[in-house]
Amino acid sequence: MRLFFSRFHPRYIRSLVYMLQASEYKAQDYLAWLHDVKDFRFVEKRKQIKWSAKTVLLVFVGLMLLISIASSGLWLIIATNLPFRHVLGAAIIILSPILLSYLILAPLTIIQLLVQKPIEFVIIYFAKKKLAEHHGVKIAIAGSYGKTSMREILKTVLSEDKEVAAPPHSYNTPLGISKFIKTLRGNEEVLIFELGEYYPGDVKRLCKLINPDIGIITGINEAHLQKFKTIEKTVQTIYELADFLGDKPLYVNGESILARDHARPNHIMYSREGVNSWRMENAHSDLSGTSFVMEKNNVPMEIRSSLLGLHQIGPLALSADLARRLGSTPSHIRAGTLKTKPFDHRLAPSVDRNGVTTLDDSYNGNPDGVKAVIAFLASLNGRRFYVTPGLVEMGSKKEEVHREIGRELARAQIEKVVLVKNSVTPFIEEGLYEEKYEGEVIWFDEALKSFAALPRITVKGDIVLLQNDWPDQYI
Amino acid sequence: MKNKKTIAVIFGGKSAEHDVSIITAHTPIIDTLLTLDEYEVIPIYITKEGLWYSEKQMNYMDYFKGDIQDKFTKLKPLQLSIGEKFSIVLSGMVSKKIDIDLVFPAMHGTYGEDGSLMGILRMANVPFVGCDMAASAVAMDKVLTKQVVSAAGLPVVRYEWLTQNVWEKDRKGFIERASVLQWPLFVKPVHLGSSIAITKVKDRSELEQALEVASHYDNKVLVEESVENLIEVTLPIMGNDILTPASIERPLNKTEFFNFEDKYLSGGKKGSDSGVNNNYSEIPANIPPDLSKEVLKLGKAVYKVLGCTGIARVDFLIDSKTNQVFVNEVNTLPGSLYHHNWKASGVSNVDLIQKLIQLAEERFAKDQKVVRTFESSLLKSL
Repeated sequence: MRLFFSRFHPRYIRSLVYMLQASEYKAQDYLAWLHDVKDFRFVEKRKQIKWSAKTVLLVFVGLMLLISIASSGLWLIIATNLPFRHVLGAAIIILSPILLSYLILAPLTIIQLLVQKPIEFVIIYFAKKKLAEHHGVKIAIAGSYGKTSMREILKTVLSEDKEVAAPPHSYNTPLGISKFIKTLRGNEEVLIFELGEYYPGDVKRLCKLINPDIGIITGINEAHLQKFKTIEKTVQTIYELADFLGDKPLYVNGESILARDHARPNHIMYSREGVNSWRMENAHSDLSGTSFVMEKNNVPMEIRSSLLGLHQIGPLALSADLARRLGSTPSHIRAGTLKTKPFDHRLAPSVDRNGVTTLDDSYNGNPDGVKAVIAFLASLNGRRFYVTPGLVEMGSKKEEVHREIGRELARAQIEKVVLVKNSVTPFIEEGLYEEKYEGEVIWFDEALKSFAALPRITVKGDIVLLQNDWPDQYI
Repeated sequence: MKNKKTIAVIFGGKSAEHDVSIITAHTPIIDTLLTLDEYEVIPIYITKEGLWYSEKQMNYMDYFKGDIQDKFTKLKPLQLSIGEKFSIVLSGMVSKKIDIDLVFPAMHGTYGEDGSLMGILRMANVPFVGCDMAASAVAMDKVLTKQVVSAAGLPVVRYEWLTQNVWEKDRKGFIERASVLQWPLFVKPVHLGSSIAITKVKDRSELEQALEVASHYDNKVLVEESVENLIEVTLPIMGNDILTPASIERPLNKTEFFNFEDKYLSGGKKGSDSGVNNNYSEIPANIPPDLSKEVLKLGKAVYKVLGCTGIARVDFLIDSKTNQVFVNEVNTLPGSLYHHNWKASGVSNVDLIQKLIQLAEERFAKDQKVVRTFESSLLKSL
């Protein structure tokens, strides 16, 4: 009852608008979140609403709608003679916040259809036209995970001797990419695009916009399964890139079982074992970085990088091979790979004044990435802490994926597992005990509390891995 | 649901180290107790005027930032209740009595670290963390410490001392006696911690001036020889019967000796994470292994001879040329429990606080077994 009446809290409209904003105004995501929320007073946990003209307008419209709905209930009671008008009117008043939570989508949809969509259409049309006239080599990266890391590694390596451009941040939607295309000067030799996949058809749509020359599939797994519903649909969507490329070169991550199993004979497999006839030797990774030797036709090429983990060898090797394909010399490739370093929140190490090493991997929220990182953590010396709120959007695989993380952690003999309470972390605990975990499990109600507590439970020499973030829309 | 134990953290107080005590209470004590989520934490703050207050918000350091005087005009001081249990009584519309299961003293200097608070807690028959009354009182008095330590055959530098009475009646005679010592000398108020009002003097006039200053701060003043080719080190120790030393730490201060600013202000400003003492010391101290061994041996011996329990920190002066190690002083409540040193030694804040609570409970349990009363027919025979 108390939770129901949280809809009558003064923050309610703000909460709805925040949920819309955090869902990037996508009705489907907003409704999924709306369905899960129990207490509307506390939806802003990790982040706060960012006030803009749009959010202020939505709050105002929401308030007007709420007043209108409640007034109509009142009007029904006072001004009509309908049978059951009291019950009906009271029901409308009591249910007005619930009605509002759906009706607030109406003005949004109208704005999107009448204003936003036509503007976007024009922007994308002109971007497509501009890109078609661009002479740079266009590389498209698709996959459930590892796209941004791949983009950054490739950009760093190729930039050693080429003019390279790539959209910043996570610009991977038609609109985001179009905005980036607008900034191009025309003298770029290589353009690298990340293809965001949220629903079937997304990759195909982006391919039509970009018309890539070379493709990369970084891996396929359960990430975003909640949206795709089935893993087959995920595979199909990501392989829209292969369909579009036809005979053009496409690199496929051989370490991803789903990606590998759907690869076709003309595709180029890459992994820590090799790529395109390159063989790997002397692979090593620790907190200082990763090194290995690539060898082809008895010609070795020594690669060093500040990136952490043996799982980085595949993308580094791919970048080296692709750079060779585009005419880079071995010395340029060596220099380029040497410049690659961990990106923010992607296994980025830092050592604090107390001698505690933190590996921030909070942007890594996919099962394959997690497995690779646990393997890396297992190879390190020191007392190891694994801190996680679990992974989001695992859909029907939620339980299986998290149990497996627990089992992996137990097998890796990680000393301390710090879990944040939510709907998925109990599965991690179950997985831990299935493998007879002997370390300590430490629970916190919220991620922020666990971060605040870490300095009090760690000592010099400890290694703390922060795995994934848990945005407010996931409960 | 498990019944949580109630722990009172007492801090502030009528002491020159009042503000430092607030930092110690929060970093690491209260912060860690709240992290543990196993205890009901009751903050008890004593003002510089000696009034005791308690309010939940005092568990957070932000409460004490800026001007805090206004907050106490609206609050009523608490009352102590010593019955079957040690309790505090909070006044209000309806007064509230809170039973305390254990006390965590976080007071530095006078009335807190000098055994006064421990005396109340002993009378209240409540377990408390850290050294007991006698050890605290001896350690608080730098002269008494030297007397006890040297009586046990442990090395201290040569010293003289005087009371305010002597200073007023026979200052010349004292200066004469002190001048026999090897110059330069250190002048220290006997009961003040955190290096407050300590002066290094090179001649008689500087000595007289320094004694004048020191006797303003204390009614007992120590004059001792300085150690040349000085290496200053400190060793935090934890335990009752079985002692666990942290790492030997060497302050890397730029000034001639380890002063108040070095200890608290410079370290504190650099970050709140570790509170104090973090960026200006070497842990473990880079000294020859034989000296480390000697410091560890002496540290434990001093801890035992003073009867310390729970936690204490022993400071040493080393003449790096002659390799002579002298016991300087003992601190029964090191600032912020020297948690930065414990962390560097593999003891997290959580482990440190939990261990100190365990030690307090063990000592209390042992103490309860001591027979202090006996049947007597004395009154019957009257």
